[in-house]
Amino acid sequence: MIILSRLFAASSSGPTVFVAPSQLTRIFGWPITNSEVYGWGIILLIIVTFLIVARKVKLHPARGFVGLVEEGVNFIIRLVESSFSNPKVGRKYVPYFVTLFFFILFNNWSELTPLIGDAFKGGGSPLLRPWTADLNATLAMGLITMGLVYYASVKESGGLRIYLRHFFVGNPKNPLYLVIGMLEMLTDLTRVISLSLRLYLNVTIGMIVIDVFAYLGHVLAPISALPFYLIEIFICMLQAYIFTILSVMYLAVAVNHAQDHNDLAHAEEDLTGQEQTGKIGAEPAGAASSGGA
Amino acid sequence: MIAVTETINTAIIGKGLMIGGGFIGPGVGIGLIGGNYLQAVGRNPEAAKFLGQALIFVAIVELFGLLAFASIFIVK
Repeated sequence: MIILSRLFAASSSGPTVFVAPSQLTRIFGWPITNSEVYGWGIILLIIVTFLIVARKVKLHPARGFVGLVEEGVNFIIRLVESSFSNPKVGRKYVPYFVTLFFFILFNNWSELTPLIGDAFKGGGSPLLRPWTADLNATLAMGLITMGLVYYASVKESGGLRIYLRHFFVGNPKNPLYLVIGMLEMLTDLTRVISLSLRLYLNVTIGMIVIDVFAYLGHVLAPISALPFYLIEIFICMLQAYIFTILSVMYLAVAVNHAQDHNDLAHAEEDLTGQEQTGKIGAEPAGAASSGGA
Repeated sequence: MIAVTETINTAIIGKGLMIGGGFIGPGVGIGLIGGNYLQAVGRNPEAAKFLGQALIFVAIVELFGLLAFASIFIVK
């Protein structure tokens, strides 16, 4: 019955489209928006779920919901570790990405509940809105993720100078390499916007599409909206995965590059050392060859 | 004579053009990604699982279509 409430709520006069979250109240001057309320609710749900699951995890893989969560966590751990050339370095960043994945996944799936949109209103605006359907929230997640990426890559490469150096193909004093390096830096900064906009738009538009097709179906709203519900279940999962894998890739590319660079420097040192020893041993070898000839 | 004042809501035309034009690019892009993926799998079937990871580029291309879709709500 309550599932039908969302689907039939809009059938009289078209669905109302909310692109931005609406303010509910103010607490000590802070505006409290509907997405904020729902987001904190989902955070509590995630904490409770994972506390319960963590108690039930045993050495033997469990079945049912616990096994599903375990498999999801393992999937992200494997994903992160396989992206780094040195899995030990990758393991340091695993907790952040596992948290990120499940946080986005649960918040994305929260758009599918029947209480979103026109069905559950107070004061002219819906009381609940998914956290990820709020550009402020996804922008914050993008900024935090890219902040971590920059911090980690500066730390792993061993200094800001060395990190900035890798944007330039050749000598930065060459004007061509300087311009190319500057462009590389600029495209690096657009990652925050593209990460946050992709997640926000996918969730918001998914919500709108479900509402629109429920409206078009009129009496048959559940049937006309069902395919889009199923697509949304998949897309929500995909978007959580894409946000996670893209941030893992940004981090892994920067860290691997820095490490390869360091390894290369060490290898060159070793090579020069070998050359020196080679030179020492070259004389008798040359003498032997000349003697042989 | 009765003066007929008819107003045409040009915003609808704008929205239609936006959706139509905005989806051309992502449509071509996703088609190219899918087609090249199939070609790559055809050449090297063992790498199908690895190449499947490259399909996340669809998400990068799709963003521009979503931008066009989102901007129809801004036009009034």
